[in-house]
Amino acid sequence: MNASTETEKNFNYFFGLLNFAAVFCIVWFLWYVFMNPNTVMKLYTPMYGFSLVVVFLSGIILMTKVIDYSAFKDNLPAKDNLILRGIILTVVSFILMLFINYIIFWGFIGKYGIAYFSPDSIVAAGGIGAEPFTARENASTAIVYFLTAFLWISLLWSVGFGRWPWQKLSSGVVAWSRVFAIFFFVSIVYAVLFHPHVCYLFYPAQSKAGVDPWWGELVGTGSAFFGLGLVLCILFWIIVSDMLWEGYPWKLLQKDGEDTFVKGLITFIATFVLGIIILFILTKIMNVVWDEAFVGGQYTDGPDFRYIHAGEIAVFFILAVFILKNYFNNFPNAGPLWLKAVIRTLIAMAIGMLIYWFYYSPLAVFFLARVEGFAQPDDKSLVWTLLFLSIIMIQWEFFEGWPLKKSKD
Amino acid sequence: MKRRTFLKSMAATGVAASMTGAGVLTREAEAAKKIDIGEVKSVKVDVLTETSWFNNDIFKKNIMDYGGVMTNQYTIPWEWDNAGGYSTLITVTTLEGDERKILMDFGWQKEWMDYIYEEKSDVASLIEKNEIDFYVLSHFHLDHLWGIESTLKRKQDITLYAPKTYYPEDMALLKDKAHHKAKDKNTGKMMHICKNDYPHKGKLILCDPKGEKGEGIYRLMDGVAMRMFDVPILFRVRGENVLYFNVKDKGIVTVTGCCHPGVLSLLSYARKNFKGYKPYGCYGGLHITLFETWDPKFDDIIKGVKAFKIKKLGCNHCTGWIWAEKATAAGVPVVKGTDKYKTYKRYSTVAKASNVFLTNGDTVTF
Repeated sequence: MNASTETEKNFNYFFGLLNFAAVFCIVWFLWYVFMNPNTVMKLYTPMYGFSLVVVFLSGIILMTKVIDYSAFKDNLPAKDNLILRGIILTVVSFILMLFINYIIFWGFIGKYGIAYFSPDSIVAAGGIGAEPFTARENASTAIVYFLTAFLWISLLWSVGFGRWPWQKLSSGVVAWSRVFAIFFFVSIVYAVLFHPHVCYLFYPAQSKAGVDPWWGELVGTGSAFFGLGLVLCILFWIIVSDMLWEGYPWKLLQKDGEDTFVKGLITFIATFVLGIIILFILTKIMNVVWDEAFVGGQYTDGPDFRYIHAGEIAVFFILAVFILKNYFNNFPNAGPLWLKAVIRTLIAMAIGMLIYWFYYSPLAVFFLARVEGFAQPDDKSLVWTLLFLSIIMIQWEFFEGWPLKKSKD
Repeated sequence: MKRRTFLKSMAATGVAASMTGAGVLTREAEAAKKIDIGEVKSVKVDVLTETSWFNNDIFKKNIMDYGGVMTNQYTIPWEWDNAGGYSTLITVTTLEGDERKILMDFGWQKEWMDYIYEEKSDVASLIEKNEIDFYVLSHFHLDHLWGIESTLKRKQDITLYAPKTYYPEDMALLKDKAHHKAKDKNTGKMMHICKNDYPHKGKLILCDPKGEKGEGIYRLMDGVAMRMFDVPILFRVRGENVLYFNVKDKGIVTVTGCCHPGVLSLLSYARKNFKGYKPYGCYGGLHITLFETWDPKFDDIIKGVKAFKIKKLGCNHCTGWIWAEKATAAGVPVVKGTDKYKTYKRYSTVAKASNVFLTNGDTVTF
């Protein structure tokens, strides 16, 4: 019997629940200090806080899934001290967030390349509405979109392509190669799905830089919330298949235990199609609850809201997947994989609905200082859910599950 | 795809076929459920003041300095000199030819509202002579409520309709002679933000989405209904009252403070619930580009307004000049204003010669 199976058998669900409660409290504390619109930092403006959270999560993904820092573990400081190493990696991810947001986007790309990534450049360009508050919100929106594309491609690569096509090369080469390959595709996804929207955040629209949102006629809104919702629905399947289905069915396409191009391609196509299907189903459910959306509708009547809300729901489910996998030991662990996968997915969806209920209940008025109700254009549940995911990832990637899981071996 | 077909048919005909419910009720059952709100002969709207703040950049700086649009409005020491207010006088002519008046919203800065009521309109005298039938508070935003002292000092004993979704600070301002202050983060001083020494003593009707008899609306007089839309709004506010008028031979007209739920959502509510629904017009802040910025979804609203076949669109306040200009250029029947606002002691820095806003001193009749 190997060590991980031993851990699964001896898993203490009560401690798992306690650990989850502790993480919930940490997220609540962080929300209170940084995001709560009536307390200390008030970063939930909302887009400014949104972008910082997405940058933070992207930094963690960059370290863990793209560069795969664990391959370099022996070269890290405090390699034998799990807690100290976890603290160091957390600090690094925080510094990385500051670096990416303020140096890369605001200070470099926005200053010397694409103006809308920097609030200062937007203000300097002048024109209607170009004052610091809106400029910061617009720059943050662009950053959120760019890094949403990053989250998609990086996780797709991690689950689908893995080390392909550099299987036989060193971890250093793989890390660098993946970074460049991923950002190549991220740039394309961003340019096609999100850039046209950002160009239309200004008046007059920057129509020589970005086309009129091409999806407008197709989906009933020119807003890139359509693309955002779609990407988040796709991400749901990537994460579910990786965490709850243990990498299957994509693993069947491995050759000699190595990832292949076909595996990556099929993962891409299948999760893309499944993402469209879940987006379609979720929007149909919303039609039943709120009637059909229509062009120009606002709040729950707006097609733009329906799409981003589908994405928000997908991320509630993603959060549930992380909770089930990490704090409830991916229950159940007996029986054939296909059956476990089905039960786990159903449980995760149930937990996701519970989180959804929490977020829109009066409890969130107390915990998150929300105003009760749906579809306020500035209410972005993704800020809270992505912050939650970031903290879970820090515990499980940087602290390797400590204190719930003391050691992997 | 059914959805695409639906959206295309919306654009082509302006008829939202699926807005008749969730598919549970038949058309006949839906029709039987519809409410007859009666009719009025006409509705005249006098724009008392729509300039809630005069300088967008100052307003937005206040927001940015104190945490963005999700912040509690009572925690921001707003720049007093930048405050104006929103208030509208509505004159309804009944089918019998009687005139009845409604005052909607009470502005923000008391001095500005005194100036509006006393020097730029006859509202002060109308209130004092009991010629206003009742007050309506659309929602609890600062620029619609905080100037209420200017109104209540003239008459406290009058019926007031307000959303049920108030916070303690709102009710204290209405009823308890509150003097609210907010902390200046630079100096640490508590700054005056609003007060009211004349508590409301009349009947206060707190409105919720159920309406007065479970019909979803409040019947204010024949041909006039009000609905409370319970939606979350920026600055920690929740819920907005909207007025509906059914003008004989013309159709439904909506009058709003800020129209947070969305102008087309208001009309789609009327279509689903009012007998003989026919779209005609709207007046008010339409809450689109309130900060004079753009977003692709604002283009969606222009397309939607055209599809709904609104005949007369009077807008101002949080609609945004740039939206009104784009809508006009796209063929939306925007009612043009005049240069009368220039005779006021202050006017908005974003006002333009295009006059696509009905601004201070303008009038529109439906």
